[in-house]
Amino acid sequence: MDVIGSLLGGFATALQPEYLLYAAIGVTLGTLVGVLPGIGPALTVALLLPVTFDLDPTGAFIMFAGIYYGGMYGGSTTSILLNTPGESASIVTALEGFQMAKRGRGGPALATAAIGSFVAGTISTLAITFFAPVVAGVALLFQPADYFALMVVAFVSVSSLVGHSILRGLVSLFVGLFIGLIGIDVLSGQPRLTFGVTELLDGLSIVVVAVGLFAVGEALYAASRLRHGQDAVVAVKGRVMMNRDDIRRSWPAWLRGAAIGFPLGALPAGGAEIPSFLSYNIEKRLSKHPDEFGKGAIEGVAGPEAANNAAFSGVLVPLLTLGLPTSATAAIMLAAFQIFNLQPGPLLFSQAPDLVWALIASLYIGNVMLLLLNLPLVRVWVKILEIPRPLLYAGILVFATLGVYSAANSVVDVLIMYAIGVLGFFMRRLDFPVGPVVLGTILGPMLEAQFRRAMSIAQGDLGVFLSRPLSSTLLLVALAVLVVPYLPRLVARLRGQRTAVPRLTFGEAPED
Amino acid sequence: MTDRPGSRRGVLEARLAALAVIGLGVVAIVGSTQVRTPGGYAAVGANAMPAVVGVALIGLGAALLLRATLRLDLDHAERIRTEAVATHWPTTGLALAGLVGYAMALGPLGYVVATSVFLPFEARILGSRSTPRDLLVGIGLGVVVYLAFTQLLGVRLPAGFLEPVLP
Repeated sequence: MDVIGSLLGGFATALQPEYLLYAAIGVTLGTLVGVLPGIGPALTVALLLPVTFDLDPTGAFIMFAGIYYGGMYGGSTTSILLNTPGESASIVTALEGFQMAKRGRGGPALATAAIGSFVAGTISTLAITFFAPVVAGVALLFQPADYFALMVVAFVSVSSLVGHSILRGLVSLFVGLFIGLIGIDVLSGQPRLTFGVTELLDGLSIVVVAVGLFAVGEALYAASRLRHGQDAVVAVKGRVMMNRDDIRRSWPAWLRGAAIGFPLGALPAGGAEIPSFLSYNIEKRLSKHPDEFGKGAIEGVAGPEAANNAAFSGVLVPLLTLGLPTSATAAIMLAAFQIFNLQPGPLLFSQAPDLVWALIASLYIGNVMLLLLNLPLVRVWVKILEIPRPLLYAGILVFATLGVYSAANSVVDVLIMYAIGVLGFFMRRLDFPVGPVVLGTILGPMLEAQFRRAMSIAQGDLGVFLSRPLSSTLLLVALAVLVVPYLPRLVARLRGQRTAVPRLTFGEAPED
Repeated sequence: MTDRPGSRRGVLEARLAALAVIGLGVVAIVGSTQVRTPGGYAAVGANAMPAVVGVALIGLGAALLLRATLRLDLDHAERIRTEAVATHWPTTGLALAGLVGYAMALGPLGYVVATSVFLPFEARILGSRSTPRDLLVGIGLGVVVYLAFTQLLGVRLPAGFLEPVLP
């Protein structure tokens, strides 16, 4: 098999001592930063971007794979022990995980999250190995109209399925599109929305936007309410390992989580929120102990954590094969590729096969390292949670500034990043989701370029998006995604019911 | 519900946000008229997307305004109300001011000094009471990051007036 040969080649690269060291550093740093409350995987990757500047591309991406997985795992520790999920995909983990921790079962909760992440991560890396080259082959057939339609699907799903309100989701998306427009237009070379400011000609880097929204916005938000005291860390008492019953109840949930997470992550449907919520609901329905849900059911941690991890790996499929980031974290990864002058997409597999396969191999290695590192070190990570909050947020601001400043040695970039942080602060207060902003910023210019290319090829005929079977199908899917959440309400109204039926949502706890 | 503390403020904030979104839309439309269209064939020009985004933002902003006035979204208003009550504005403002000062000081003071001053200062604003500890952490962080970035990672950071002392 060609794939096996390529993969073995990748392992031969990734297993060199130097690269193993990079992977270990990546996993450690990723976990370290990911454990910090309020820092999700997207911010972890953005903040650690400068660390890789001096490495060769292969080394940098091997370190990245480690940071990516480490950041995710670190986030679940925070959710379980502190009930402050760093990103919306971990909200579900907090539901049962925090309850387990409060009942003195924090150890098994962390263990099932770690092992579940490992199992699901390995299964989905296997899936990437065999699936990604196939998708890359199919992607060669994609024309601009199809790319455009695919991005419309991603936009619609990220703004309508996640969060409390489609309206506010769409506002966030269009604010992101606005930010993405700033700078020189790639197709015509004309400056847009710069209003004569030279510093804006290059546009706003995704790192500036993401760090501003996630780090500064979050720190200002925390600052505004720090006087209300600090959440207590739940101590991990007793055994860290799971008992036989825990394992018996966890493993089917891990497998189901992986099975839900990977395909949904691979679709351009906005990352890991939907799979982790779906997994939670399925575990709740299938469980033999439904009464334990809400009071610390281990399946409720095992399933969503596995789904979360599998979805994060699934996101790598559209990223590597189509060049399409479908989550905030993937958007930062794309920026990282571009820093090294690599353009992910169907040609990446043929143009830089060594790098791609080394990256895939290092996903396997990163997963193993994470498991080896995390289970024994749980008590060390818990210590990090006890950093006093004022010092922690001051430190986050120092690193946010460092991350943006060191990328271009520009104070103007840093000030723009703070301004975006203020935007993020108000968005957080007023309950606007920030994820769509990041996606709009990075996907907006890509969507526009493909749209204009398609229109030029079709000589200005809008019908091109409907006449191609692929693009018209995708646009129908986008329409369905927009309508489906309202179906329960519509059906209820048609039946003449008067009671309010809520819109289907994912990614947020039900409103209470 | 208007008699509960902060609720009036919350609704006001939602209305201001709606107006800000509309304003951003106007900016996009004004910006789209300033894009020069060079010669050569293009089915869709460089000014189309800014105009579309502008129109969409104005439409969405109007919808937001509607949900904050005539058809008030009660859930959302309640959510903002709790936010408005919990917010301590002086802390937020000072934290931001400290941050801007930090960015401006990076060049003149150098990374190490600026960070050693900023970290304890910002932690103090955020409510820390152990300034000597924070100062030590600040100095340690400044020195370690500076050395790691300049010596190990090959990323230049401003040395400032410590230039003669630092490697």
